[in-house]
Amino acid sequence: MKLLEALGALEESLSSQSPLLTVRLACGFSPLHLRTFLNAHLRQEFPAHRIQVGIGLYDDLAGNLERLESASSDAVVCVIEWQDLDPRLGIRRVGGWAPKQLTDITRGVRSTAARLADSLERIAQSNTVALALPTLPIPPVAFTPGWQAGSFESDLRQAVAELSTRLAGRAGVRIVSVQRLDRVSPPAARFDVRSELTAGFPYRLSHADALAALLARAIRNPSPKKALITDLDDTLWKGILGEVGVESIAWDLDQHAQKHGLYQQFLASISEAGILIAAASKNDPDLVDEAFRAAKPILPRDRIFPMEINWGAKSESVARILRAWNVGPDSVVFVDDSALDLAEVKAAHPEVECLLFPRDDDQAAYQLLEDLRDLFGKQALSQEDEIRLESIRASHAAAQAVGSPHMTPERFLAEAEGKLTLRFGNDPGDARALELINKTNQFNLNGKRHSDASWKRYLGESRVFLAVASYEDKFGPLGKIAVMAGRRDGSKISLDHWVMSCRAFSRRIEHGCLLHLLQKFGAEEAAFDFVPTPRNGPLQEFFAGLLGAAPERSFCLRKEQFGEKCPPVYLEIQEASNE
Amino acid sequence: MNDLQARLSRCFSAVFPGLNAQQIAAASVQTVEKWDSIAMVTLLSVIEEEFGVQFDPEDIETLASFQKIFDYVGARRKVVND
Repeated sequence: MKLLEALGALEESLSSQSPLLTVRLACGFSPLHLRTFLNAHLRQEFPAHRIQVGIGLYDDLAGNLERLESASSDAVVCVIEWQDLDPRLGIRRVGGWAPKQLTDITRGVRSTAARLADSLERIAQSNTVALALPTLPIPPVAFTPGWQAGSFESDLRQAVAELSTRLAGRAGVRIVSVQRLDRVSPPAARFDVRSELTAGFPYRLSHADALAALLARAIRNPSPKKALITDLDDTLWKGILGEVGVESIAWDLDQHAQKHGLYQQFLASISEAGILIAAASKNDPDLVDEAFRAAKPILPRDRIFPMEINWGAKSESVARILRAWNVGPDSVVFVDDSALDLAEVKAAHPEVECLLFPRDDDQAAYQLLEDLRDLFGKQALSQEDEIRLESIRASHAAAQAVGSPHMTPERFLAEAEGKLTLRFGNDPGDARALELINKTNQFNLNGKRHSDASWKRYLGESRVFLAVASYEDKFGPLGKIAVMAGRRDGSKISLDHWVMSCRAFSRRIEHGCLLHLLQKFGAEEAAFDFVPTPRNGPLQEFFAGLLGAAPERSFCLRKEQFGEKCPPVYLEIQEASNE
Repeated sequence: MNDLQARLSRCFSAVFPGLNAQQIAAASVQTVEKWDSIAMVTLLSVIEEEFGVQFDPEDIETLASFQKIFDYVGARRKVVND
């Protein structure tokens, strides 16, 4: 983005009714164009929000951060440069670069880094923090030549690495990747000496733009995709199975097929991290079974579900996979080496992200892995990530059991041994609760999302309660699958949020949740801040079952009304203690 | 309006969004209230990026109007093109 474009973007105004996103930019240099670019990129990341970027005082990063500890905002962007860690590492001061001063500079850097880390940790308790660690070159301070990494430079880099390690694990802190910044903003083209000396702004425009883009992305932290569908021949492995046979498919260096091995390794890795993997291949099912049994790919057979192996159109296989998973197509990536198959799937499922596996280009195949990492990367792994595949399999097995001639849906539910556990407590640290609020579409009361900061603020409001529901039955655990949040007001409860994972449908968990909530609070009625969305059809059907027709807006439901319409709930419902 | 004038006007318009075409042509530190030191840095950065020229720090104080900047950029571009 050019500065001219960034300034133009700032002029595009939204209605004053649009939600406001307040971001504080803390840096020690004059924020000038970094503020402009940050504002413009935030507008791109949050197109429905009005953006306000506040700044602090010049040349006082530590003070700016300490003042932000008690300020209210949605997010804090902190940019640390070497001169913020010790002014002698800047070029606007001449405090001395003598060899005897180097130890003192190192000590100063460590001391300031610790002070900044303390402050950032306090800010992160109530804000999302996007952090950039020194992006500019260390000035020619040391007596060693520039092509050699002397102990002084190594000590400085170690101090920053320790700062990064300390903060990277903190909830709410997102640090800009050095590797990614190096790729989009070459280190040698970042420092603008003239601008630093004349205006106190040390970045070339291209660097300010690139850094601002990454910081804005870190604030938005886009939801990762949930699932990947892969082709097999010339994608998961090299070779056409039906032509070359099981013994000749390959994914190793010897057969010049390493990119397929790396791809399998990557899929195995994201599968362990809770991403669903399915296969869609025009192939002979027996041959594919034999390939997995005899050739033992790096991605094991049991990490792939479902496996759609047939000679039909790929789009139909994808449709069956989406039904088995019960996830929205916009959460899914499809990878195939055939441009034709990709186009056919894209035409039938436009929301699925379709990516070409470049079977003849190692460099492009490596780039594909980088792109997939961006699409599936997540901040942290949860217990639900570990059990997701098994719970999908269990749901599928349960659905098949219901479809058998001897099993009615009612009998199936009665015999499922379902156990619903609700945990009450306004814990903003339960990342799964916020994840469900922000990722769930189909059973979602109103589609309202929260940032880390707004979620913390909401849970801190008076009379607000939060209930997180977990479920398991004889087919296995589903983990935390539902969140209800609202307010208690005498004999009435008002629900502001109610979301449930699509994996938990058809078990009357929603009935069980509402039943327990009414009983627990002794409520005579429940008010729902309902908003119909293009995607919350399953929730609308649930309400239609209780009201006779789907509601059009917020409404109240009396306890007797619910009791009359509520079907038998076969769940054992219990509350978990908040130890 | 020639190409240089049009592109320079776009730069002014981005930094001083309230000004119309006539006001931009007559713009100076005296006539534009928002033309402070920060606006000056932003304006010159936008122009440098747009035209690929670089302002000499010693000349900056003299660039106090649209016309003076127009002349300066025109001269610099001519030197580059020659």
